[in-house]
Amino acid sequence: MNIVELRGVCKSYPAFRLREVSFALESGKITGFIGRNGAGKTTTIKSMLNLIHTDGGEIRYFGLPLQGHEAEIKQRVGYSTGTVSWYPRKTIRQIAAITAAFYPDWDEEAFRKYLSLFGLDESKKPIELSEGMKVKFNLLLALSHRAEVLILDEPTSGLDPFSRDELLELFQTLKEHGVTILFSTHITSDLERCADNIVYISKGEIRANCSRADFMQNYGKEGETLEEIFLRLEREARA
Amino acid sequence: MRALLNKEMRLAASILSYLFLGFALMALIPGYPILCGVFFITLGLFQSFQNAREANDIVYSALLPIAKRDVVKGKFLFCMFIELTGFFVMAVLTLLRMTVLSGNAVYRENALMNANPFFLGAALLLFGMFNLIFVAGFFRTAYKFARPFVSYIVVCFVLIGLAEALHHVPGLEALNAFGFEHAALQLSLLAGGAAAYVLLTWLGYRLACARFDKIDL
Repeated sequence: MNIVELRGVCKSYPAFRLREVSFALESGKITGFIGRNGAGKTTTIKSMLNLIHTDGGEIRYFGLPLQGHEAEIKQRVGYSTGTVSWYPRKTIRQIAAITAAFYPDWDEEAFRKYLSLFGLDESKKPIELSEGMKVKFNLLLALSHRAEVLILDEPTSGLDPFSRDELLELFQTLKEHGVTILFSTHITSDLERCADNIVYISKGEIRANCSRADFMQNYGKEGETLEEIFLRLEREARA
Repeated sequence: MRALLNKEMRLAASILSYLFLGFALMALIPGYPILCGVFFITLGLFQSFQNAREANDIVYSALLPIAKRDVVKGKFLFCMFIELTGFFVMAVLTLLRMTVLSGNAVYRENALMNANPFFLGAALLLFGMFNLIFVAGFFRTAYKFARPFVSYIVVCFVLIGLAEALHHVPGLEALNAFGFEHAALQLSLLAGGAAAYVLLTWLGYRLACARFDKIDL
């Protein structure tokens, strides 16, 4: 069952165009959204979060169109936007307390669990955190309100190898609990570790949208690793 | 609505928005253009918009499980909270000047505006102008605030100049009433100011929602 669907999403900027982006997220699966810098990953994710106006197309969550059902959909969706620093001079405790008030399903137990798992000190302020710890803080907020879908923009960027490993492990655990995850990345080993499905975007167009196994079979040549496939596809797209 | 206001007050606001409420006490300064207190209160609000921009508050709010127009509503709620708190302090001080201090020579021999219901009505008009010109202007981009604030300053000081000087125009002396003189006129001017505040704030909110809905974050 598809829990999130994008159909023909378009967005034009003076120097970039997102062209007819369509893909769906299967319930309880991890989808890796890969593409090089500037390929359109963040623009797509911003469209999915209603942060930008699309020029066309439709985005649906749980069968409901995002337009007109934004508030109820966002109750069930968690998001993390990489290293962006929210309220840099407020403590994590203050930010979490205010954020919790917007979510009737806020899970204080989960908040405490992930706070400890990520090694975050709630008396610290975002300005005092490293880039990797900022990512963890954003994830902490996303994971603390029993979200059914997680949309994560480059969640592994800036993380040390141990934290990355822990995070990818966590994705597997969340998946086992029925959480659907979309995470963008340009690190192919992240996909190898945990992605069930792969959505590959290049120059604003979806070039592949299938299971990881199908991707290897349909786009790969014999003996090629996932990284080698992407590098070749990108080179071919530029040629 | 409570969660929205709480977020504005505890995460997005600058401490100066609260401290600058102290400028409401200017209503007690003799021989001073007391309407300037309104400007300083709105200057405190401006600091909160600056603070919110530095803290990525607009995007954070847009990501919360609320409709996009609720981001605008949060800002208006906070502005109205500060403005009406300032107005309440000014109203109490005005009442003081209209009663126990009404015969005081330093207030009687004052070329500028007296603290009376007309002053309170003018204060509400200025707060309404802030909401319409600055707040709605800010939501044109949700990050640029220089132009809307300068526009507001110009309008604000023109209106302050007018309000302070009007009672010198022959026939308009009643605007500078002391105590409870010309009560009917004074109260209708206050009611007019209140109506202008509601109208300008409502217009500002509608305009801000329409503008914010069009922009990309």
